[in-house]
Amino acid sequence: MATKTLDTLGLKCPQPILKVATLAPQMQPGDILEVAADCESFPKDIKAWATRTGKTLLFCTDEGGGKYKAQIQF
Amino acid sequence: MAKVAITVNGTEPKNVFPPFILGSSAVSLGDEVVIFFCPGGAPAMVKGVIEKMEGKGLPNLLALVEGVRALGGKIYVCELALGAKDLKKEDFRDGVEIIGATTFIDEIKDATITFSF
Repeated sequence: MATKTLDTLGLKCPQPILKVATLAPQMQPGDILEVAADCESFPKDIKAWATRTGKTLLFCTDEGGGKYKAQIQF
Repeated sequence: MAKVAITVNGTEPKNVFPPFILGSSAVSLGDEVVIFFCPGGAPAMVKGVIEKMEGKGLPNLLALVEGVRALGGKIYVCELALGAKDLKKEDFRDGVEIIGATTFIDEIKDATITFSF
């Protein structure tokens, strides 16, 4: 199991989710993707993406200053 | 999985950003996406046009267009645009296909979500 990080700070909706979706085929089952984002809609969007694609959203935390950190397990 | 069909009939940012914001969101979720540029919107798909288009507070349009393509979305231009806008097939950006209205309508017969901009 590998953990990858994805920095989407500064990118506007829907670019962070698009980046997650583009990276997804490289992930193996069990791998974890940690995403940093600062777009307002990110917490709801990443939850919707994980639900629709059958991945596990381990957490999405508010890091303060408009930044969020999420971990998705594939 | 949804099938999203979007038509575009203008070349202003208000016409061109929404199809790619919504289209890239849909392909990200695994939905099928078909974007059809009518003659009024077709000049936006000419090489180099997307690269120059930006809007305050909006995402990078080129990244969205490339994302739609990378995740399997289809981008079509109506063949009537060739005569209506004096354009040639080779004027359009890579990955854009010229098709007729009948083919588009046939392809989206099972679309579950439609938009027009």
